[in-house]
This record gives sequence, structure tokens and C-alpha cells, in this order.
Amino acid sequence: MSDIRTGYIEAFQKQRAKSREAARRAAIARFGELGLPTRRAENWRFTNLRPLEQRLFPPAPAGTVPAATLPPLYRLGVPSHRFVLVNGRFAPALSDMGDLPLGVSLRPLAESAPALAPALDAPFLRESNPFLALNAAFFEDGFDLSMTDVVAGEQPSPPPELDRPIEILHLAAAANPVSLHTRNRLCIPPGRRCTIVETFAGSGPYWTNAVLEIAIGDGAALRHIVLQDEGKEAVHLGHRRIRLGAGARYDGFTLALGSQLSRQDTIVTIEGERAECLLNGAYLLRGSQEATIATLIDHAAPGSATREVFKGVVADRAHGVFQGKIVVRQAAQKTDAHQLNKNLLLGRQAVVDTKPELEIYADDVKCSHGAAIGDLDENALFYLRARGLTAAEARRMLIDAFAGEAIDLVADGAARSYLRRHLERWLAAREE
Amino acid sequence: MSSVEALDTIGPLGQGYKYGFVTAIDAETAPPGLDESTIRFISAKKREPDWLLDWRLQSFRAWQKMAQPEWAKLRIAPIDYQAATYYSAPKKKEGPKSLDEVDPELLKTYEKLGIPLGERAALAGVAVDAVFDSVSVATTFKAQLAELGIIFCSFGEAVQEHPELVRKYLGTVVPQGDNFFAALNSAVFSDGSFAYIPPGVRCPMELSTYFRINAAKTGQFERTLLIADKGAYVSYLEGCTAPQRDENQLHAAVVELVALEGAEIKYATVQNWYPGDAEGKGGIYNFVTKRGACRGAKAKISWTQVETGSAITWKYPSCILEGDDSVGEFYSVAITNNLQQADTGTKMIHIGKNTRSTIISKGISAGRGQNTYRGLVRVQPKAQGARNYTQCDSLLIGDRCGAHTVPYLEIRNPSARVEHEATTSKISEDQLFYCRQRGLSQEDALSLIVNGFCKEVLKELPMEFAVEAQKLLAVSLEGSVG
Repeated sequence: MSDIRTGYIEAFQKQRAKSREAARRAAIARFGELGLPTRRAENWRFTNLRPLEQRLFPPAPAGTVPAATLPPLYRLGVPSHRFVLVNGRFAPALSDMGDLPLGVSLRPLAESAPALAPALDAPFLRESNPFLALNAAFFEDGFDLSMTDVVAGEQPSPPPELDRPIEILHLAAAANPVSLHTRNRLCIPPGRRCTIVETFAGSGPYWTNAVLEIAIGDGAALRHIVLQDEGKEAVHLGHRRIRLGAGARYDGFTLALGSQLSRQDTIVTIEGERAECLLNGAYLLRGSQEATIATLIDHAAPGSATREVFKGVVADRAHGVFQGKIVVRQAAQKTDAHQLNKNLLLGRQAVVDTKPELEIYADDVKCSHGAAIGDLDENALFYLRARGLTAAEARRMLIDAFAGEAIDLVADGAARSYLRRHLERWLAAREE
Repeated sequence: MSSVEALDTIGPLGQGYKYGFVTAIDAETAPPGLDESTIRFISAKKREPDWLLDWRLQSFRAWQKMAQPEWAKLRIAPIDYQAATYYSAPKKKEGPKSLDEVDPELLKTYEKLGIPLGERAALAGVAVDAVFDSVSVATTFKAQLAELGIIFCSFGEAVQEHPELVRKYLGTVVPQGDNFFAALNSAVFSDGSFAYIPPGVRCPMELSTYFRINAAKTGQFERTLLIADKGAYVSYLEGCTAPQRDENQLHAAVVELVALEGAEIKYATVQNWYPGDAEGKGGIYNFVTKRGACRGAKAKISWTQVETGSAITWKYPSCILEGDDSVGEFYSVAITNNLQQADTGTKMIHIGKNTRSTIISKGISAGRGQNTYRGLVRVQPKAQGARNYTQCDSLLIGDRCGAHTVPYLEIRNPSARVEHEATTSKISEDQLFYCRQRGLSQEDALSLIVNGFCKEVLKELPMEFAVEAQKLLAVSLEGSVG
């Protein structure tokens, strides 16, 4: 463990990053203090970080982006503004941003970083998450989507909804262990709406350590769909921070299928009144995959509504973890928050740990959570068998229905069928 | 005697704490502080065999290496373990042979508490092993129970008279080093209750103990051990009241239950220790380890608790379901008012096949109280067909309190079926309005609604306890609705 810590510190000393030097030093020092989390830390008690403890993933060096192609599998299939990162860096050859509407900017973070510097570095270093510190020490690129207010006057005012969805692809290809630290930003100003479909995919022994900050202004709305389909040897740590203004709406969905070890942390802070937060997802695991979904929805303003549904299918020897926390502060009266976690346990050695948590300091609220764990319903299986389906077909149909129910929560049609295609692929591969 | 007069002026179901008085009794007290000599003093006082002294010393050494747990959602003022007194016994000359010989001060105390002793006990059908501070003073119904082969006595007596049973089971459910407070208890436990129900015997009466903390600055370290042999049945009641005082008092009890094949143990608690005043001054620290093991097939352990007292409660009555088809149940009502804090729940560990557990928890927060349900349901890989159903409901009264739910579900067998539901809400204006409109006072309306909210738990209590519990709920919530 301590070798790993030193390994990253040494890798830091070798890197030749030119920007943000003081901030990077502070970040690596913070990582040095923290080290990797142990399972004694409550927030990490269920996550088995062995792949990161056993192996050093040095940061991918600059200027060595492998020539990659865009797999058709990961194309949304409708016109979009496409932004592609390969091994953590913007890949202009694969990107196709098209004509972005007036006042919309989608560009590599490496370009905007100098202007953003204090905002990028300040908040994370006080926290005790070593992966945020490593990210701050190493990140060089990512995507940066912002929509500026249109200059008043002769310009026509922009339509509230972005014309096309934005597709973000994080592709990776590694022959030797590398880590990909990206910092990504999404800023939706008041009154605007857009849809983002993010995909993580790749092959080889790599570690994605992606941080995404989302700010949704008053009355703005974001649909955010994430497909995590990283390679079999990959480690995926995704960290999202979402801030919601008054009357803002976040509608997020994560489908986690890939990587040997993955963890998705989502922290939503409801800062404005009457905001709406939909945080949904599904994880399908097999073999010896490990996945953790950790969410924290912090209600700091009154009158908001939260719906959270995560469904898990855990087969073979896989291990699925759900740690969901809903906090309602004293000021957040009239909050209406509901959380649900359901798991299908399909393997004799499959393991599910779930910790749905409520922390409530306001009295005029409606909050609930539910969790359920079980295997396929014997009666339903029997019903399907009696109608002539094979055992495998019957099982597949039930798993499909279970996970598909979650995917049905995705409002955007193109994104929904994109996720459905990947669910089908997962089910087909399971039968092989 | 002024305390007695003070009591008389307090109305029924007190404006304030009903049982807040101090009895003037000469206590034989160990000097404050804790080291090996304290433990030797306690052990010698109780004329314990060497193996038990060694067991205590082992526990003490384990405790010295441990740190007070901090994971609970509780704010605990630092406890000076060296400032407390670890042994306090009411003075006795010869040992009472009948009620006449019992210190009249003590009897008066019991009278105030409404504990049925002697004939009153017989009428109430309750056998009382009353614990006053640390040493049992009166035990009733012994003869009647002895006829059936049931042993029900103080822990100290059991050590003298049934050392083989104590030695066989002590520490097998809650090991010495289980946790900080259990280790402390194992080192310095003073007295408690012991019961053994022989195979196939159905205990004909509710066994009951009233705990009462008395001497100032005395931590209480009760040790209870209940064994239900094959096919036996016992229902055990535990009720607590404590006098009012300003200093925090530490109470770290350990309760161990063992249910062998086909046995059933019902364990009910009404906990009404002094919760501190409205500003959070004083009150008991209640850090208790309670655990039962279903050692044989078809064994059953059921915990019911009504927790209204104590400044801080840290308590997780648990069931280890080792035997196939064994059953664990946990029914709980926990109330926090003023500045009370409670972090309570249960653990259900499913080890045997087709084991079943039910958890019903009702938390009520008022004033500035903080109430946390913390529970674990763990299904081990071999627990084929395990089932659990958990329901945790929280009721908030007032906008300065907190209600928190922290369940852990750890499932290692695909045939398990585990369900957890939790809700948090407040008493609706409509409900209150409806009751008020029909002529109920605000307080009666609140009491009615709260009792309805807790009904699923209260119905698990034996009748006489259920009545007391309902009154307690009303008293505990007084003044919480303006």
C-alpha cells in the first residue's frame, strides 16, 4: 500500500505538466497524507480496492494518444454534437461538434483551464478523498461545456432547448497500466435545457479517474445519461458533483456494465427552492466484477422533490454495492424524497451490500427508502416455462424486465434505445 | 425526606420526571477509579471463584487496548472512566430472609416505583429479582420456580450456586472483547439476573427485573444471562427508572440470551432512565450490549423495547440465527425529546438455513432530539432460504429534531429474500385537527396518534407493560407540541 502511495508521488515528480504547478503540488501532498482509503473508512467499507492496491497505474503521458477508431457500438445513432476523449485527452479527429448554437461552448478543458484555475482547484483539496486529490494533481484535460448568456440587443435569443444531444465519449486503449485523470465541467445557465450522453469504454489495463462538476442554474434542466462499459481489466472511478439552483431539474441515469472494479460517486446539493432531482440507474455484474454506487443527495433548500431508483443484477461471483444517502437539512422543509434499491442475486457466490440511509433534520417532509434483495421469482419462471420457454429464455426475459424497468425511466428516446441495445448485448453475452 | 415531599407535590404522570428522588442508604462503595485492584476488590467482595476473577482480568486487559467507539451518530461528552465508582452495594447485616428484614428505605423506594413485591407480586403474577444498584436484595417466587427446575436468581448467586452453568455460557454470546462497553462490563460487572429454564419447561410467569440506579457517581454494570434449554419457553421483562441528578451516569450492561433447539425467549424492556432536563443537563448514558443466540433448530428470540429515557442510548439488541429454521424478532419504539440522543437498532445474523427475522422500528423525535435507527441484516453464504422483513418508521415532532435511518444489508446467498422499508413523516395537521374537533386536548390527541404509530410494537409487550409503556409515551412527549 505505501509503495503504491510513493509510486504516485514519484510519478508526479516525473510528470512534465506546465500548468497549475502550485495547485498540483498541494494536491499530491494531500494525496500523500491520505493514501488509499481502507475499508475501515465508513464510506469505503464495502468497496474492495484491491486492483488499485496491487498495481500502480502511472498517469498516461501526454502526446501519446493512440490512433483509435470510433466503435459503431458507442454511437448514439441520432445527430449530435460529439466530443471524444482518448486516454483522457481531446481527440479532434474523432470528434464532430457540428455547428454549436449561439452562446454554447464545448471545448477541451485544457484550453479553458487557465481561466478557470482557482475554481478547479479550491474545493476538493479540503476533502478526505484521495482520488480527488490524485485527480487534481494529474488532470490535464476533459470536456468543458458551458452556455453563456447571449448578449442582449440585436442577437436573436437562443431557444431554451439545445438542438441536439451532446455525446461525450471517454475512450481508452492501454497496453501497459495507465491512469486517466480527467476533469470535466458542465454549466447550464438559468432557463436552458440540454441532454448529455456520456460513454466510457476501452480495452487494456487502465484506470479511469474522472471528475465531473455540474452546475444547473435556476429553472435550467439537464438530462444526463451515462453508460459505463469500460474494458474487462479496467478500473473506473467516477466522481460527480451536481449543484441545483431554484426550480432546476437534474435527470440522471447511469448504466454500469463494465470494468473489473467500478465506483460511481454522485453528490447532489440542492441549493435552490423547488428543484427536482432524479437519480436513477442500473448495474449488471458478472464474473468477479465489483461495483459500488454511492450517492448523496443533500437538500439544503425547501420544497424539492427527489426520486432515486437503482436496480442491480449481480451474477456469478460478482459484488454489488449501493450506498445511498439522503440528507434533509432543517431549512429544507416540504422536501419529498424517495429512494429505492432493488437487487437480483443470481450466483451462489454473488454478494450484495446495500446501505440506504436517511438523515433528516426537518419535520415537514415526506421521505422514504426501500431496499430489496432476492433471486428470480419461482412462480414467474414456472409461468413462463409452462408456456413453452426454455429455462434460459425465461430467466433472460425476467432479468431483461427487471433491468429494463429501470432503463424505462430514461426520458430521452435515443438515449433509452442506446442503453437498451447495451442491455441486450449484456444479456446475449451472458448466455454464451 | 424532602425528596419524598417533593414527590408528593408532583402530579400524576409528572410535570417532569416522576421517579426523580434519591434514597438515603449507606452504600458500601469502592473508591473511584479503575485498575486491576478495583476488579480484584469487586471479585473479592462477591467471593468469586478464581476462574471468574481471571475472566474479569482478561476482559479488563482487552478493554485497556480498546477505544470508545465513535461511529454512532451521537455526541458524547468525554467520559472519565477513572472518576467513576465501580462497586456500590446496599449495606446488609445478615442478608434479608423475609421482606421484614429488607431495609425499609428500600421498600419505600419500590413502593414509589410500584414494584410488586411479596404478596403484591403474587397478585400481579410477577417474580421479581429486584436489583437495587448492584446487589439483589429480594427474590420472590423462587420456590415455585424451583419446583419446575427453573433457576432464577441474581447473577452473583448463580456464580455461587450454579458455577457450571455460568461458566459454560458466560461470554459465549457477547465475548469479552466484543466491543468497548461490553469489555468494560465483563471486567467490572457487579450483578444482574440469571435464569435457566430446563428442557421442555414453559416458565409459568413473566420473569421480571427492575433496575434502579441509585448511589451517586456509580456506573451500573449489569450482567444478565438467560438460558432456555431445548423446547423451553420464557418471557422476561426488564423495566428501568432512575433518580434525578445532574451528573451523567454511565450504564453499560450486557445481556446474553441462549436459546437451544426449539426454545423460545421473549425479552421485553421498558427503559425510562432519567433523560436529563430540558437543557440537556444530566441524564443517563445507556450503552448496552444485548445479544441472543439461537443455538438450535427452530429456536426463537424476540426483543421488544420501549426506549423513552436516557440522555444517550447506544443499544443494538441482536440475534444470531445459527440453528436451521430459527427466528429472530426485534420490535422497538424509541423516543427522543429535548436534547436526548438515541442510536439504536438491531443486528440479524442469518447463519442457518431457512432462518427468518422481522424488524419493526418506530422512532419518534421531538424537541431537539436526535434519533437514529442503525441496523444490520446479514445473510451468510450457507443461510439458504433466509428471509428478512424490516420496517423503520420515523415521526418528527417539531422542526429542530432529527430522524435518521442507517440500515446495512449484507447478502451472501442468492436464495435470500430481504426487504427493507423506511419512512419519515410528521404528524399531520389533519389528524390533529380531527382529534381536536372531537374534543381531545392537543396533548391527548398527540398521545393518541403516537400510540397508534407505535401500536405494532406495543402489542408485542405483555399487558401490564403495555399499559405502562403507553403512559410513558405520553409523559415523554409532554410539552413537545405547543
